[in-house]
Amino acid sequence: MSSPAESQPPSPATLRESARLLAVCERWNRKLHFYSGLFLIVFLWLFAFTGLLLNHPTWTFHESWRNRHETKFQLPIVPPAAGLTSDLEQARDLMRQMSIDGEILWTTTRSDGAPFEFQVRTPRHFYFIKADLAQGRADIRHAAVNAWGIAKILHTFTGNLASDPRNRRDWPLTAVWAYSMDFVAAGLIFMVLSSIYLWLKQPRKLLPGALCLALGSLLCGLFCFGLRWM
Amino acid sequence: MHRRFYTVTRDLHLYLGLFISPFVLVFSVTVFFFVHAIAPKFGAETTQTRAATAVSLPPDLSKLSGRPLIDALKPTLLSINVPGEIGFIRHVVSDDTLVIPVSVPGRATTVTIRIAQREATIATRETGLADALMTLHRSPGEHSPALSMNWFPMRAWRWLSDTTAYLTLFITVSGVYLWYALRAERRIGYVLLGTGTFLFFGLAYVVAR
Repeated sequence: MSSPAESQPPSPATLRESARLLAVCERWNRKLHFYSGLFLIVFLWLFAFTGLLLNHPTWTFHESWRNRHETKFQLPIVPPAAGLTSDLEQARDLMRQMSIDGEILWTTTRSDGAPFEFQVRTPRHFYFIKADLAQGRADIRHAAVNAWGIAKILHTFTGNLASDPRNRRDWPLTAVWAYSMDFVAAGLIFMVLSSIYLWLKQPRKLLPGALCLALGSLLCGLFCFGLRWM
Repeated sequence: MHRRFYTVTRDLHLYLGLFISPFVLVFSVTVFFFVHAIAPKFGAETTQTRAATAVSLPPDLSKLSGRPLIDALKPTLLSINVPGEIGFIRHVVSDDTLVIPVSVPGRATTVTIRIAQREATIATRETGLADALMTLHRSPGEHSPALSMNWFPMRAWRWLSDTTAYLTLFITVSGVYLWYALRAERRIGYVLLGTGTFLFFGLAYVVAR
């Protein structure tokens, strides 16, 4: 059984306080919606535009790999110290000697007697390194891509390959960029949710808005869930 | 005139934004999966294997490669009920078998056809929702444009993901216009716009220099 206090209607003061709180929430939701949009706009332009470019590799104007600038050179190296046992530690030591900085990409399995091979990447520079530790020499092929290439690589530059546990983020600047991607994604999620709240507060636009949202959800749901049941 | 333009822009901003919001959520949520190399499983991954006999194969199979091979094998895959986007086909000469990966968002199927015997083994793996979303985020991608998009639903997905990108660009530009029309918010808007732009170019320069 409810107590007398629970069955009493809320006092006018409580109602006023609730209404005031709701109004503050609405005002700040609206403000934060466009504040976050303005803050993230250049990031959104990058990811939307490069998403289009990545979807259309046959568009020739953004060709970057064929237009790369490539050089080959050799550098003397000192074999890494005995204490540096892992491939990552050894690669980092060699990169320090060669003044090369970037994300390490493992593409080949190391075998006895063969040169120590790895790649180092930044969004602009690609280094293909073959280090002959016994000869004390490294053969380096360096490729630099144009601005289109940089933009496209920034879209995917996470340092992680989900399909290959050997390739994990190992360059601090990759981490900085990757976390900024997280931040943009979180900002976008907030903007979507805040826009739904803004829409729900406009009674005249409820029906057309619901139709747009339902159509988008239906189409998106078809691809996310429905295709498997075909 | 100005008032009308503002109202129409505001309505388009709202309605088109609501339309693409599920797509934006898919692309945004999967960013966390890619950045942290995680693919959360909401259920156990299941694999089923079945066999098919008397598989009909295209007559000039040995002469085909690339996209013509994919197109020629579509009726074969349809006859054994394996729909989906066909990946890179391997011909294992030593066994005289074709290994055909076929993917549907959330499901990966490998069809192994023994050509001489006209028999197929079909291994189907349900990879789950997170994997489905990641596949959609990556599709079509920049690799093998001549081979990819060989299944109509994935071509339709490309149109939708393109639409999402175009509408995102429209919504950002219309959003700037709608903000600019709010005179009271201009100063803080400029500060945020400037800070975000500076941060973006600063980060991009440091990472890509």
